[in-house]
Amino acid sequence: MASLNFPAFDSNELKELKQKVVDSCHILDREGITDGYGHVSARIPDTESFLTTAGVSPGCVTLDRLVMLDLDGNFLGGVKAPPYEWPIHACIMRARPEVMSVCHTHSKWSSLFSVLKGGLPPIHMYAKFLPAAGPPVYPASGLIGTVERGKALTAALKDSAAVLMRGHGDAVVGASLEQAILRTIQLAFLGELAHMAVAHGEPLYMSEEELATFSADQAYPARPWEYYMSRIRERRAP
Amino acid sequence: MAASGKDVPKIDSSELKELTDKLMTACHILDHENVTDGYGHISVRVPGADAFVTIANVSPGCVTRDRLIMQDFDGNYLDGAKMPPNEWPIHACILKARPEIVSVAHTHSKWSTIFSVLPIKLKPMHHYGKFLSADGPPVYEGVGLVRTMERGNELAAALGKGPVVLMRAHGDAVAGESIEQVVERTTRLAMLGEWNHLALLHGEPKYLTAAELEVYNADQRFPMRGWEYYVSRLKDRQ
Repeated sequence: MASLNFPAFDSNELKELKQKVVDSCHILDREGITDGYGHVSARIPDTESFLTTAGVSPGCVTLDRLVMLDLDGNFLGGVKAPPYEWPIHACIMRARPEVMSVCHTHSKWSSLFSVLKGGLPPIHMYAKFLPAAGPPVYPASGLIGTVERGKALTAALKDSAAVLMRGHGDAVVGASLEQAILRTIQLAFLGELAHMAVAHGEPLYMSEEELATFSADQAYPARPWEYYMSRIRERRAP
Repeated sequence: MAASGKDVPKIDSSELKELTDKLMTACHILDHENVTDGYGHISVRVPGADAFVTIANVSPGCVTRDRLIMQDFDGNYLDGAKMPPNEWPIHACILKARPEIVSVAHTHSKWSTIFSVLPIKLKPMHHYGKFLSADGPPVYEGVGLVRTMERGNELAAALGKGPVVLMRAHGDAVAGESIEQVVERTTRLAMLGEWNHLALLHGEPKYLTAAELEVYNADQRFPMRGWEYYVSRLKDRQ
């Protein structure tokens, strides 16, 4: 795998993708999912490399604060400050070639359900991207600062679209940036709903058969992306 | 030992400008993040002196440069606005007892207050609580304001060597080696309180163990990422 095959960080080819990474980060911040921490990555199509934020809060990221890494964590361009937890992105992308984007957040709702015994079973049809038993939980606490831990996280994720990280947050994948963002937001919505429902007693969760029906429909509408973009516009107004 | 006025820089000196600017920003952050209401205060030690700067009987959210006050550790007025906060002994007694501490925040945080009166402790269930011990912060049982040196010394004794003490039916006092660290700890303490509250409605959560916390405590890096993020969120209000 020669680095010569990667498009240059400053090439026109990556312009649109970089802007989309920045937009994605601002969306997660605007929707109240991220605080000062967390990161979003985008695979550079047909390569073993990705773009992510360079040691900056998702809410503060700009086009000149991105970094490009290969799947071994080697620096390929941008600001030389890769996130400490780059192995989350690299290890998942290596194991899952169909994954084009990974979001890692300290979402309140994912953090909550990561330490509860009952898991997060499907309580709304938004859960169609998740396994019937709810997302798996990566049981080790602490940051994912090594490839070894990145691989253990990837093993816990398995073929799911999301994994909760104990006492930490979540990692959510998608076949596009838009899909990973939508899933991250929906996972938080599902967590909040499940939390509220439990105050009333055991909710009627969706059955595996019901979920299977929904899961057959994996169409990804551009509608929510347009909506979320419209909501970050006000923060960019001068 | 009282600081002699002539050894201490003036409150509006260029020497203290950076610290006093940061102190005001910290107050505005705690207000913007909904930790403080009309009450609470943050202090910063005057480098090399037995003196500190805090806010002069004004809400953290309303503080301006002309409403800062400098006092020594006996509460003597040294400079700035005339009206000391009622509870100046919180700052004086902790800063005197703990020479490594640079800044102290006192708030009536909703989440500290609730855990100050419950039999259940506010224990770390997310690695954001890495500055806490596995069994959570101690509680200062003496209700009411801390307006005397006697009560200030009791509070400092309850705090001990730790970073946080909850104050029964009152709030908290949080100590740190920089203003930024105190702001991060105070906001994270509130997040942890909220998340513990949410989790406990579902039963006993899986807390971080003492062994896990020991690993994280060894890592005392303090990233500026969170501070940059909180400052960015203040822009709206300016």
